[in-house]
Amino acid sequence: MKRLLSSVRDGRGFDIVLVAFPLGFLFLMAGLPLLYNVLMSFQEVDMFSLGTFLRPFVGFKNYTDLFAQPETWPILGNTAIFVIGSIAGQFLIGFGLALFFWVNFPGASWLRGLFLVSWVMPGLVVGAIWNWILSGDFGVLNFILKESGIISGNIFWRSDPNYSLYAVIMANVWLGTAFNMILLSVGLASIPGDLYEAAELDGANAWQRFWTITLPMMRSTIGAIIALGLIFTLQQFDLFAAITSGGPNNSSNVTQYWAWDLSFRQYDFAKGATISVIMIVFVMFAAIVYVRSTRHEVRG
Amino acid sequence: MSETNRNRLMLVIAIIMAAIYLFPLYWMYITALKSGSEMFATPPSFWPSEPQWATYGFVWESRNMARYLWNSLIIASGAVVLITVLGVGCAYVLARYRNVWVDIGLFLILMLQVLPASLMITPIFVGFSQLGMLNYPRLAVIIAIAAKSMPFFVVLVRATFMAVPQELEEAALVDGNSRIGAFFNIVLPLARNGILVSAILIFMQAFGEFVYSKSIIQAVELQPASVGLNSFMGPNTNEWNNIMAYATIYVTPILAIFVLLQRRIVSGLTSGAIK
Repeated sequence: MKRLLSSVRDGRGFDIVLVAFPLGFLFLMAGLPLLYNVLMSFQEVDMFSLGTFLRPFVGFKNYTDLFAQPETWPILGNTAIFVIGSIAGQFLIGFGLALFFWVNFPGASWLRGLFLVSWVMPGLVVGAIWNWILSGDFGVLNFILKESGIISGNIFWRSDPNYSLYAVIMANVWLGTAFNMILLSVGLASIPGDLYEAAELDGANAWQRFWTITLPMMRSTIGAIIALGLIFTLQQFDLFAAITSGGPNNSSNVTQYWAWDLSFRQYDFAKGATISVIMIVFVMFAAIVYVRSTRHEVRG
Repeated sequence: MSETNRNRLMLVIAIIMAAIYLFPLYWMYITALKSGSEMFATPPSFWPSEPQWATYGFVWESRNMARYLWNSLIIASGAVVLITVLGVGCAYVLARYRNVWVDIGLFLILMLQVLPASLMITPIFVGFSQLGMLNYPRLAVIIAIAAKSMPFFVVLVRATFMAVPQELEEAALVDGNSRIGAFFNIVLPLARNGILVSAILIFMQAFGEFVYSKSIIQAVELQPASVGLNSFMGPNTNEWNNIMAYATIYVTPILAIFVLLQRRIVSGLTSGAIK
């Protein structure tokens, strides 16, 4: 007992205590729910059996039922469009801005940091602002687009099934661009400057330097950022809740909103758990890519 | 073109781009000051003709914002305290050693960081309801947020601890400090700034948290400001000036903290996520 105490105070035991509590907490509150989720996806869960663990097992019935529903494939398709559209927008605009701010001028780093306000704002506030900007009759976006001659009539961003998903994508691109830009700036700053001097001496123009030095040197950063983008995009929930609620008629619904909607609006917890399991497998895959591409940095 | 002129040109372009990017924020502040009729005017005015400052007081009173913000504050503070108490030690150990176990621990932590809250809420809600935790909804939300955000905190703080030279700790041990003494007297003070910045980041995240609060907290008196904003925005609302006033009151403190601590927050953020 005494040896144990002194080990906790002054030895290996100290480290083990420090690390055991957080990991235990994480296991209880994140690991167990994960396993419970998988369990529930094989059970029949309704309001009456919510309080017990011993629910009837139904095998893969939840999964087959889910894919028999007519809305499942369109929603999976929406998710793919949402993820690809958001990541492409965030990354391209973010990369452009990062390249611009890479040219060092006074005030550059302060202004660049200012962009991050979009990222620290609560998602629901961002959603509320964009909901108002995208409003059909009185929205300022329609006004600007009409004045600049891009569209002739008002677009009902939130209530037109052809546009509702893109309304949320727009808001999400705005939200995530700054984060992409900051991380890409860090990657750009770590490229040694003498590479460019050497290339310039060899007569390479700006375009060639970008393709032969910048892009190859940024490969692992870009991989990590795309994987992070996938992770963050699949976590995006607040914008859907604030802008379209997945409507109209599921036209802007995505799996992460749908899973919540099934559980908490339709009280079909088993279906909610089933779609969660499917999506978590996807997210885990992205996480492995992310960890692999930042591995040497994370290990220090 | 001379160096100064080029710098000035770049600065002007940068300011224009920042202005375009931050336009939604400007629009929120402007709309909150417009009257009901000016808000729906065509063409929309880009500067309020008669600023309606009374809207803030009206929204504050009628939406009970003091209560909502107080709940947000309780939830965010609780989550930050829980995460800091648990996470600092974990980050320290993961920074101090380099072996297979640390790699495995880091990998598991990174994996937990990526689980979307809206997917995890189903099992958490069912589990909490079975344990009777839903009778303490704010505590339940604090725990859920802590489990969600702690991995991020550990990764950020670990980067801070890596920057503390291990020789300093060894010297303290040689001088007769115990491990506990060396940790609290030497290592923690040196890592204080990084821990503080990470805690502020977590606070800002938890202050705006929505999914867990919306799903777990049923009683209106206990809901945070994000849920309050959500219930304010009905499907066919036309009170946009009031909603924007609500959003302004909600978000301005966060923006103020961010602008004041911008440099530290940005560098803390980048050191953890990517090198």
